[in-house]
Amino acid sequence: MRRTGFLYDERYLLHCTGSCHPESPERLKAAYKGIEDAGLLPKLTRIHAVPAQQRWVEKVHHINYILRFEEACMMGMDELDYPDNQMCRETYDTAMLAVGGILETVKMVMEDKIDNAFCAVRPPGHHAEVNKAMGFCYFNNVAVAARYIQEEWGIERVGIVDFDVHHGNGTQHIFEYDPTVYYYSIHEHPSFAFPGTGREFEKGADAGQGYTFNTPVLPGQGDREYLDLIKQDLLPAFEFFQPEFILASTGFDAHAEDDMSDIKLSTEMFTWIMKVLMGLADKYAEGRIISVLEGGYSIQRLPELIKNHVEVMMTP
Amino acid sequence: MFIDRSMTKRVLTIGKDTNILEARDLMKEHHIRHLPVVEPDGTLIGIVTDRDIRSAMPSILQDELNCDAVDDKLRKVTVDRFMTPDPMTIPPTYTIQDALLLIQDKKVGAFPVVDDAGKLKGIVSIRDLIRAFINVLNIGEPGMLLGILVEDKVGQLKQIVDAITEEKIAFGSVLVSRHWEEGKRAVFPYLLTNNIARIKKKLRDMGYTLLDPMEWYLDQLPKNE
Repeated sequence: MRRTGFLYDERYLLHCTGSCHPESPERLKAAYKGIEDAGLLPKLTRIHAVPAQQRWVEKVHHINYILRFEEACMMGMDELDYPDNQMCRETYDTAMLAVGGILETVKMVMEDKIDNAFCAVRPPGHHAEVNKAMGFCYFNNVAVAARYIQEEWGIERVGIVDFDVHHGNGTQHIFEYDPTVYYYSIHEHPSFAFPGTGREFEKGADAGQGYTFNTPVLPGQGDREYLDLIKQDLLPAFEFFQPEFILASTGFDAHAEDDMSDIKLSTEMFTWIMKVLMGLADKYAEGRIISVLEGGYSIQRLPELIKNHVEVMMTP
Repeated sequence: MFIDRSMTKRVLTIGKDTNILEARDLMKEHHIRHLPVVEPDGTLIGIVTDRDIRSAMPSILQDELNCDAVDDKLRKVTVDRFMTPDPMTIPPTYTIQDALLLIQDKKVGAFPVVDDAGKLKGIVSIRDLIRAFINVLNIGEPGMLLGILVEDKVGQLKQIVDAITEEKIAFGSVLVSRHWEEGKRAVFPYLLTNNIARIKKKLRDMGYTLLDPMEWYLDQLPKNE
């Protein structure tokens, strides 16, 4: 069995989005319950959150944005930049704990205390832009982790795989010009889904040209198309890039029973995707992979999906 | 929506004695396809398109030609020999709608915009109109499109707009396809939100049919086959 870390902290529940918001604390409770009920907790290395040092957040986000976000929280404002981004007084601290927890997780992998890890965090991150909150996201968790991996631990090439059903516009834009971070995303076609980016022809720019890859999937499609497209697009991309560390932007909202999208993946397909990522991590990155929760809104389905996901990570 | 708000105002122009190689290089350098030809006082006398230049040039397949000698000859070919003289123009008081319908009708890529005195004021091309439409569709903003089937009767759009507004969701744009099927229209609101599940449910509860995204289309204009 692999030494799999599990980042979870009850303080992640403190970010309140009000009633009727899909990105609710219930999601994380469901995730935890899935792992607990399956008896996995004793077999996992628990990781507790610590607030991120601001200097790492500044590697990705503009200082003015960080301060604006903190100030909005202190003033008790209930949204940031778009009405989608509902928040409370604890949101800023929670977002700092999400980033900090993930950086702690990276440290444990790099110090060889664990092999890989799943990070059950809120708020999610992949829509967050350098200077703007978007799509329920405030800090781009995965992007800050990638910079930390490179600058603190001397890893050159970080590969990000984003299989949330929505395109990670923030992550793409942050690394668009950078050939040292590869961004691969498979998602519902942007003409039909939020946020409207992630088209096939978006492939990075300047030195980063060829280090961004988008696989848009049409509404109504599911397992068959994901299977073919991941084999066709992701596998050659990572063979070319040879990532030394893999970060997964893990979303479960492409599930057939998740009504945030028109993509119809089965529960089993998520297991298959994670097996592929584990294979890639073993092949190129000495098994180093950290999965970070993004979306996934079906409270009924999340426990099983997350249990399966973590079990794949634990399997040698 | 007058055209002088959407047209390109700083137009690159040439005189009638510009030679074909100069005109070609200007187009290449500035990524443009139309060069208005003007008198020194700014009066429009013609237009040169990239196609005019291509058909006036010798074939690139004739590489056995002595290039330098050919270039020398081409340098003596001035644009007044192959430009379209007195091209179709529009006044700055035309609207975007006028320009769209004319471009479709006349099958041209751009219109020089000239004032009453015949002086060039700008140029409006298909690209300018596309830019305007990307802007009004708001697809540069994060959001997503819905497709809703409604009865072709008064008041339907109001109900939809009210329902969405009550959820504090902003509109990027709203498209209406008037001829979806007999007695029906399709309404496509582009909503600036990721929070789509509950608005979908609300609309369904109100009795609306959400269209299968794979069935969406907009183009129902009669085509000239």
